[in-house]
Amino acid sequence: MSSRATDAKAGRLSEVIRENRTRVTVLAVLLFLFLAAFGGLDREDWFSTIMQGLSVGAITFLVASGLSLIFGLMDVLNLAHGEIFMLGAYVGWTIYTRFDTALDIVIPLLLLAAPFLLMPLWRMLASRLGATPGVRRAIGWGLLLGGGLVTWLSVTRFPLVIWDPGDFASSPGSFSTQIDLNVLEPLVADSFSGAAALAIIGLILGGSILALAMSSFQRTATEAAVGTRRMVTAAGLVALAIILHLSKSSINEWVFGLSTSWRFFLAMAIAVVIGAAVGAFIEVLLIRPLYDRPIYQLMLTLGVGFILIEVVREVWGRPEFTMARPALFNGTGEGCPGQGIGGFFSGCSTVEMFGARLRVYNEGFIVLVGILVLVGVTLLLKRTRIGMIIRAGVQDPDMVEALGINVRRVFTLVFALGSSLAALGGVLAAPSIGLSTGMGALFLLSALIALAIGGLTSFTGAAAGAVLVGLLQQLIIRFGQQGIDLPFLAEPFKPTPTLVPAASVLLMVIVLLLLPAGLFGRSER
Amino acid sequence: MTSANPSVAAGFRSWLQRRRGLLLLAAALVLFPFVISILIDGQGIGAVFSNDQGNARFLQGLAIEIFILALYAISYDLVLGITGLLSFGHAMFFAVGAYGFGILLKSFDIAWPVVVLILLVAALVQAVLFAIVLPRVKGITFALVTLGLASVFWIVIQSSDLSDWAGAEIGLQGVQPPVWFLDTTNERFAFYLVTIAILIGVFIVYTRIVDSPAGKVMVAIRENEDRALMLGYNTFWFKLLALTVASITAVLAGSLHALHQPIVTPNVAGLGFTVTALLMILIGGVGTISGALVGAAVFRLLQFYLDKWFGGASDLLIGLAYVAIVLYLPFGIVGTWRAKAVQRQKGLDFVGSLVSGRKR
Repeated sequence: MSSRATDAKAGRLSEVIRENRTRVTVLAVLLFLFLAAFGGLDREDWFSTIMQGLSVGAITFLVASGLSLIFGLMDVLNLAHGEIFMLGAYVGWTIYTRFDTALDIVIPLLLLAAPFLLMPLWRMLASRLGATPGVRRAIGWGLLLGGGLVTWLSVTRFPLVIWDPGDFASSPGSFSTQIDLNVLEPLVADSFSGAAALAIIGLILGGSILALAMSSFQRTATEAAVGTRRMVTAAGLVALAIILHLSKSSINEWVFGLSTSWRFFLAMAIAVVIGAAVGAFIEVLLIRPLYDRPIYQLMLTLGVGFILIEVVREVWGRPEFTMARPALFNGTGEGCPGQGIGGFFSGCSTVEMFGARLRVYNEGFIVLVGILVLVGVTLLLKRTRIGMIIRAGVQDPDMVEALGINVRRVFTLVFALGSSLAALGGVLAAPSIGLSTGMGALFLLSALIALAIGGLTSFTGAAAGAVLVGLLQQLIIRFGQQGIDLPFLAEPFKPTPTLVPAASVLLMVIVLLLLPAGLFGRSER
Repeated sequence: MTSANPSVAAGFRSWLQRRRGLLLLAAALVLFPFVISILIDGQGIGAVFSNDQGNARFLQGLAIEIFILALYAISYDLVLGITGLLSFGHAMFFAVGAYGFGILLKSFDIAWPVVVLILLVAALVQAVLFAIVLPRVKGITFALVTLGLASVFWIVIQSSDLSDWAGAEIGLQGVQPPVWFLDTTNERFAFYLVTIAILIGVFIVYTRIVDSPAGKVMVAIRENEDRALMLGYNTFWFKLLALTVASITAVLAGSLHALHQPIVTPNVAGLGFTVTALLMILIGGVGTISGALVGAAVFRLLQFYLDKWFGGASDLLIGLAYVAIVLYLPFGIVGTWRAKAVQRQKGLDFVGSLVSGRKR
């Protein structure tokens, strides 16, 4: 009885292996190649190479996981994902280094956004503007101009503290140095030019006119009442903005008094929120009208990425700069570097393990966050109701919709989730690789390669592919320093940094030729 | 002679008839520098031949840039618009032409007909390289593979290992024109005429390809590849054909670019330059050959004047325009023009009926 059961089990296993012969072979060959490569490394190098590979892999995974979720659920390959990653890094830097500027810009934005919550009201008003859609549209353009003018006049009256990328003394780069030396001072804003109440009312008015203008472009007339909840939320936003404005200096003082570690965690949290907001915004306003034109979605995300890069260049300037590492991971002196696993919690910047020296931030914290995200999202997908809906949507969105579930809302949610993961990746990457406008494209490429290797719609595949790409890159960099002894060559062969992306692309092409659906992806019919 | 062979003459006359618009455009383009020279510069016709400084010379240069971009856009339109292959590595086709032509001429000192032959082979090789994966991967995955291949080229071309030839991040400079009529600095009008001739020639070849049976199969692949397969066409060869033709055209455009620009930057190999191609055919209308020409002209003029008026913010404005076109003008200028043909005809008939006073 039991022997028959084991026979059946063994039979099933061999069947699985036979069905996935190519896959198993590819995995075995890859494993062998990686083991051989690590065997060829010097003794103390192999552990640090693995950990650095995992660190790069973790950041790549944070980008790739969002891409994979979004592509799996709604078949949109979001090519702006790398730029959301980049935006996350820049927003994180701003919260970490120049919280005062972020707070300043939030206040007018809140005031401007509040009227947009009352959209049903504007729709109703707009449908009474003129008899024909043509007249309404003409009035709409006029309102758009007027609203823009009012908004511009009010915003310029606000006392905003901003840096100047053109002036070195007050550029992001020099702020980064100042925070590293602990000499960063809050910027001093001018007072309101004119009455404060006028500027605030002007902004609310501007937002209202703009919202009315936008709703006058709609085709059909609607008559819907504004719910109490929307009213309360809008009023709440205005109240929040005014409270923030009144208590601005004390909030700034409090945040600048925090230790850099706490500020870093604050930066992570806010970047995640901003990433989610940007993602939801892109999905609702730009991607949603194009669900029946897939190629145009791709082109659109390409354009959005382009715009985001230009926005970052305008706001933060073109030169690259660094982000100081938080104090928690920057300790030196007595008792440093730490030893063993416990060394990761000693507050030192480096730790010694297996004869290798690791950086606590890069090889400890980033890898830890990567693992936490992997576990968290897997639990979300496997154990919660929303995860069940997402998994069902990956298989067949039409069926899910037929079952009475609002798939559109799930789409927005997943887009926001994916974008927030990318933004988190950006903040994590900033202290280790610095900030530049090219970082998005770089990690998007790595993430796309990781996805293609792992299988486009497979979440596990995204993780495996990211780790593979990270390990491969670090291996090549390490062999570039060490050199490989090849037969028939007098000098050891040293791969140049150019070969790093080339090798991962080559790996992708080979894997795709053997397994078009990737290592873990299901082949399409 | 013509009376001895009337069918040839008739054929030629009907060809003239069919290509009337194109020939008029070519004539207008040839006359364009003279008109500018007389009307705006206040110089004579001789100023164009003697290559004097002025608006005429400057606008010829801008027009040559437009023609080169148009060649590049046309080639991308054949791949994406006609055959429906989403390639994100098209900039590599162009960059291989620009860098290959420049490096071979500058560093290896090879006679230019041999350079052309080598580039032809290179164009074939890269088309095959792109097509190798086609039987296995489709759609998005193909886009990823091509993006990866082009990114590798982009990284390799600006690496310091090749800086003696390709000039690393600064770019390739100092390419000398091999023959007098390819000299954009000293013989700009000749170069202008050469680029017009090449563009018109390529345009005619492309319209012929699209109208040929092979072109119909390419369109069929775009619309429904399984059905084309079912009808017995080996779609792979048609895709390879499209990629090869596009690759040769883009390499040609790249070579002209290397001659016309004082410096070839690594940007022409980057994803941004593929986006430029996408943008141009989107403006003109995806899948319309003439749309690529319109798109290139509109794009370059927009870029030029936005840069003049807004400076650093112009790239942002172009990005916004791109998104707006994707959202609100999906068929581009030519596509929308064609879609509205019926409406326009109705309007014309209405005006005609008013003029003639006849009831319809």
